[in-house]
Amino acid sequence: MKKTLLGYMPDESFIYHVHPSVKVLFLLVVSLFPMFISAVEWNAALILFLIFLLVVSRVSLRIIKIYIPVAISMGTIILLSYTVLGGRHPEFSIVGSPLGVPIYWERIRDALVVYFRILPMILTMVFFLSTTREREIVAAFRAARIPFVVTYMIAMSMRAAGMVLEDFRIVRQAEQARGFDTKGKSLPYKIRKYVAYMIPLFALSLRRAEEFTNALVARGYSFRSNVKRPDYILSRYRFRWWDALACLVIMAGFAALLAARYGYGKFTLEDSIFLDWLGGRLLSGAAA
Amino acid sequence: MSETNKEDSVWTVLEGERRSVGVIHIVITALLIGIGFVVGAFGSISFPLGFGVNFFWTGIAVQQIGPIWFGGWGIIAGVIFPFFSNAIAGTPFYVSLAYIPANFVQAFLPAFAMKKLNCDPRLKKGRDYLVLFVAMVVSSAFGAIYSPLVVLKGFGLLTVESLPLFMWGWFGGNVVAGVVFNFVLLKALSGVVIKTPAFVKKWWS
Amino acid sequence: MNHHAVEIIDYTWKYLHGTGEAVSGLNLTVEAGECIGLIGSNGSGKTTLVNSIDGLIPGQYHGIKTGEVRVFGTEVEEYKRGELQREVGLVFSDPEAQFTAMTVEDELVFGMENLGLSLKEIQVRLDWACELADLGSMLEKPPYEISGGQKQRVALAAVLAMQPKLLILDEPTAMLDPISRARVFDVLARLRKERDITMILIEHTLEHIIPLVDRMVLLGEGKVLHQAPTREFFDDLTLLREQGVLPPSVVGFSGWLRESGRVDGPSALSIEEAADQARQARGGE
Repeated sequence: MKKTLLGYMPDESFIYHVHPSVKVLFLLVVSLFPMFISAVEWNAALILFLIFLLVVSRVSLRIIKIYIPVAISMGTIILLSYTVLGGRHPEFSIVGSPLGVPIYWERIRDALVVYFRILPMILTMVFFLSTTREREIVAAFRAARIPFVVTYMIAMSMRAAGMVLEDFRIVRQAEQARGFDTKGKSLPYKIRKYVAYMIPLFALSLRRAEEFTNALVARGYSFRSNVKRPDYILSRYRFRWWDALACLVIMAGFAALLAARYGYGKFTLEDSIFLDWLGGRLLSGAAA
Repeated sequence: MSETNKEDSVWTVLEGERRSVGVIHIVITALLIGIGFVVGAFGSISFPLGFGVNFFWTGIAVQQIGPIWFGGWGIIAGVIFPFFSNAIAGTPFYVSLAYIPANFVQAFLPAFAMKKLNCDPRLKKGRDYLVLFVAMVVSSAFGAIYSPLVVLKGFGLLTVESLPLFMWGWFGGNVVAGVVFNFVLLKALSGVVIKTPAFVKKWWS
Repeated sequence: MNHHAVEIIDYTWKYLHGTGEAVSGLNLTVEAGECIGLIGSNGSGKTTLVNSIDGLIPGQYHGIKTGEVRVFGTEVEEYKRGELQREVGLVFSDPEAQFTAMTVEDELVFGMENLGLSLKEIQVRLDWACELADLGSMLEKPPYEISGGQKQRVALAAVLAMQPKLLILDEPTAMLDPISRARVFDVLARLRKERDITMILIEHTLEHIIPLVDRMVLLGEGKVLHQAPTREFFDDLTLLREQGVLPPSVVGFSGWLRESGRVDGPSALSIEEAADQARQARGGE
C-alpha cells in the first residue's frame, strides 16, 4: 500500500503509471466541466465516470463515505436556499405550498442543477486527493517550472499538517492524562478546551520552526542560492505517450464541451430529458 | 500615538539591528499553512454551513495571528491554507480559489492595523485589544460580504434571498472564533514569538 | 597550507535573549581525520559549539559573538551562503525534527540537490548511503512513518550522502532504544574504517563512543574543562564525576582497581582490558 493525500492505495493501481502533471491537469480542467453543464443527467454521468475512475484506480470507495455528510448538508442547504428561502416569485410555477410557503418548480430545478454541479466537483477533488501522493504534487509543480522555494513550501506545509495532527494528538493525550475529557461535555466547554489545545500547538510549531530551519540550513539549503538544482524528483517520473494522450483527451473533452454548449446549445436546461420529465410529473401532480 | 511610544514599539527596527529574510520565514509560512490546514478543516467539518462557510471557523486564529507575528509570511499562509482546508472539507476547487480576496483582507487588515497604529501584540493596553477587535470585525465584514455575494452567487450556489444567512454565518463564524482564540493566543505567546528570529517587524523581516 | 579541521580561538557567544554566555572564551582545535567525543552536562555549551562550527550560529540566531571559529582555515562567517555546509555535516538528536521531505528517498537526496550534484552522482551516492545505513527497502516510505532507529539512520545517511569532510553528530542516539543505538554506532564505526572523515561526536552513552574516538573533550559552563586522548581522559575520574560525567562501568571498575592500588597503568576501556586488570589484581593479592 502507498500513502496518498487522503489514505492508502494498493501498489498494483494503474494510477502510479500516470504522470503527476496529468493528475493536476485533470483536477484543474475536469473540475470546470460541471460549470458548463446544466442538464442534470450529464453531470450525473460525470459522477458515474469519476466513481468508475476511483474503482479502476483501486481506491477504496469507503473514502467517499467521509464526504456523504458533506454532500447531504450541501444538498440540504442548496434545497432550502432555493425553496424555503427562495423568496416569492409569482412568475414561477407552484408545485406545492407546505405551511403556506410556496415551493416553485423553477427553484427545485435550479437547486438540482446546482447540486449536480457541486457533486462532480467534489468527486474530482476526492479522486485527486485519493490517488495523488504528496511528492507527486511537488513533481507536478517542478515539472511546471514553478520555483523550488514555492514547491518546497507547499511540500513542507503538507508535512507540517501531518506533524500538527500528531502534535494535536499528543497534546490531547497529555490533557486527558491530567483528567481532562471533552466526551459528553457542552459545546462551550469543548471550545474552551480547544483554546487550551491551541496554545501548546502553536508553541510546539514555533520550536519546530527553529529545528526545521537548522536542518535545512545544515543541509545546504538557501533560497537565494545560485546553485542549479538537478531536480532529482523529476527523474523518478517519466512523461510517456499515454500521459500525452490523457492530456489531449482532457483538453479535447473540454473544448468539445464548450463547443457543444455555446455552438450547438447542448447540455442546457432545455436539453435535459430528466428535468423535463421531473417538471412534468411535479407540475401535473400539483395541478391534480 | 507619541514618538516615545514609537521608539519603544516592538515594530521599530533599532539602530544597528540587522534583520533579513531567512529560511526560517519560509519554514514558518509552511508551518502556518500546516496548522491552518488542520484547524481550518476542523472548523469546516465540525461547524459547516456549506461551501467552506462555517458558523465557527477556527482557522481564523491562524489567519489573523500569523500575519501579526510574521507579517507578509503570515498573510501568504492565511491566503493559502483555507484553500487546502476547504478542499479536504469538500469545497470545490474553484470556489476555494475565488475566496482568496476575502482571505487576503482577513489576514492583512488586523496586522496592518496593529502595525500602523503601533499596537503591541502582547496586548498590554486596552487600546491594543480595541484596535485588534475592530480590525477583526471590519475584515470579517468584508469577507462576509464578498464571499457569499461574489463567490456563492457568482457560482450560482445560492439565491439572493438566502445570502443574509451565509453573510451572517461567515461574519459570526469568524468574529466569534476570533474573539475566542486571537486574544488568548496573542496574550500567551507574543512574548515568546517576539524573541525569535522568525518575528517580523516590518512586513518581511 | 595544511589547516586544522576546526580551530576555535577565544570564542564567546551570548544569545540575544539569553541570561549568560552560552560559550565563554573557548579554545579548541580538531585535526583533519581526527574523531573527538564531546561531553558535558546539559547547558555546558555543547550544542552551541557545534552549531557555531556549522555556521547556524550566528547565521540563524541573534546574539553577540567574539573570537574566531575557523573551519578548514576559514572563519565560518566568511563562507558564502551554503558553502560551509559542503564541508560540514550536522546530524541532530531528534531525527523527526530534521526531516525535510516526504519520502526517505527525497530526504536522502535533498542535501545533494542543494549541492547541485549531477543526477548520476546523486544516484551513486544514494546507493552508497543506502547500503551503508541499510535503508534500501524503505526508500518509498514517508520518513516519519518508520521506526526511531530507522529515522536516525535516514538522518545520518542524508548527511553522509553529502560527503562532508567534517561530520558532527549532536547526541544522535538520544532518542533511541539500545539496539537501534548500537546499529547507529555500527554505521559510524564502518564509516571511520572506510573513509578518512573528521568527526565530532556529542554523546552521553560513553561506552559507545569510547571505541570510536581518538580524543575526549569535557565542556562545562561554556569552556573546555578537560581534554585528552581517550585513555588518558579517564585517568582523572574524580574530575569527571565532579562535572556530572558518569564513566562507563568498565572504566569505573578499572578506576577503582587503580585508585585502590590493586593495579597500575592506564584505565581499561573495554571489558577485555578490565578483565585483564582484574586478573592482574587477583594475581597480586
